[in-house]
Amino acid sequence: MSRQRFDTKKVNSELVTLTYGTLVAQMVKDFDNPDDVSKQLDRIGYNMGIRLIEDFLSKTGTGRCLDLKDTADKIQSAFRLYLGVQPNVVNWSPAGDEFSFILDSNPLTELVELPEDLKQLKYCNIICGAIRGALEMVQLDVQSWVVQDQLKGDQNTEIRVKFIRRLEDAMPAGEE
Amino acid sequence: MAVCAAIVGKENSPKFFCCVNPDEELNFQYKVLSSLDIIEEKLNPTNKPGTEIKELYLGMLYSLETCKIYGYVTNTKIKFIIVVDSSNLQLRDNEIRSMFSKIHSEYADMVSNPFYTPGEPITSKLFASSIKNIITGTV
Amino acid sequence: MADDILLDLLHSEIVQYVVGNNDNMKDEDLSTLEYIGFSTGYRIIERLTKEMPRFKDELDTMKFICTDFWSAVYKKQIDNLRTNHQGVYVLQDNVFRFLSRLSNGKQYLEVAPRYVTFTCGVIRGSLANLNIQCLVTAEVQSLPSCKFHIQVQRT
Repeated sequence: MSRQRFDTKKVNSELVTLTYGTLVAQMVKDFDNPDDVSKQLDRIGYNMGIRLIEDFLSKTGTGRCLDLKDTADKIQSAFRLYLGVQPNVVNWSPAGDEFSFILDSNPLTELVELPEDLKQLKYCNIICGAIRGALEMVQLDVQSWVVQDQLKGDQNTEIRVKFIRRLEDAMPAGEE
Repeated sequence: MAVCAAIVGKENSPKFFCCVNPDEELNFQYKVLSSLDIIEEKLNPTNKPGTEIKELYLGMLYSLETCKIYGYVTNTKIKFIIVVDSSNLQLRDNEIRSMFSKIHSEYADMVSNPFYTPGEPITSKLFASSIKNIITGTV
Repeated sequence: MADDILLDLLHSEIVQYVVGNNDNMKDEDLSTLEYIGFSTGYRIIERLTKEMPRFKDELDTMKFICTDFWSAVYKKQIDNLRTNHQGVYVLQDNVFRFLSRLSNGKQYLEVAPRYVTFTCGVIRGSLANLNIQCLVTAEVQSLPSCKFHIQVQRT
């Protein structure tokens, strides 16, 4: 077996970043309105999230979340596992039903420069979608959105998560 | 430090120019463009097989009374050119090399921006300021 | 970033985005998928060849694609490279990454083009940036094996 010229992990992570970037650029061409692109990105994230959660649970052997703080910690470790970054969990709402992830660096956007006419595009919406999709699979209904974005010149990237309700265990289809 | 850096595309069309002293831009543009033939020659030594340069760094292309011109060509046939003032004797070969490899890194990152169309002139201000920092030695 | 599964999931989503709700697999238009691959390949090759010595010739470049490049992206080398020495190269991968999750069966064979087109684009984009203009097509006869045909366009 010949030696490896490249660091496979690094290449794969760059490929994710580049492939995602090309997809976003393609969508910008396909849709007139950047808001529609943002919605699509959220949906794609959601689809990935509902599959990613199984991988996460099996890789980490994680059990049920005790409370929202516990959930936040687990998402934090998912950030580390899948994006190689460790965001801080901060800005809890007084009622304890809302919090933020703060990322000092975001591998998805590191090499991206948004053109002036796309400043309203929510490039990282895929992350919000993924969080929403993954949590739905463990019976948590949440909202998630980008508050600050380094792509727009903010110091950090801040992703907010708001707990809506606990979902009843899903009934098998057609048995209501 | 160097006085000018240029990036020339696959088909020998200039994509980017950076001069420490903007007044000299036209003068250097001319010098850079006339160095392209030398680059082609170095890459395709027709009558001397086995003398192809495997390294991306091509070394000094030519020197004039006022300046020295260095070249570097990526595997993707993008040419980087650095102009150094002839009076500058401190700048060593390995420092020029390191400038080129930094420029190459910046270039590869810039091309990775999904909103940049490869082959277009490079207009990113961020890129321009990084290159300026590299050639003036502030990084 | 750490994990292989992200690229696999993202790739499926891109296929889904391009194909949409199209049920008609015959003569499906996958050109957008190919283009997304092209654009990705064009960029990644700029990064990968940064520290590499200059390629000797076309064959040298193809060998790089089959070995170092393929193992970095697809986790294994190409199993077989054939060429007629006139600009046609056939790269065979016996267990192609994006097909390895599909079960074998005729109904899956029909959707196979959706899972290889992005990679045709990646190959074409990588080679285009290395100044080899070509056409790339893929042939899947039995899953999860795939043959990529590269036809270099001489000018």
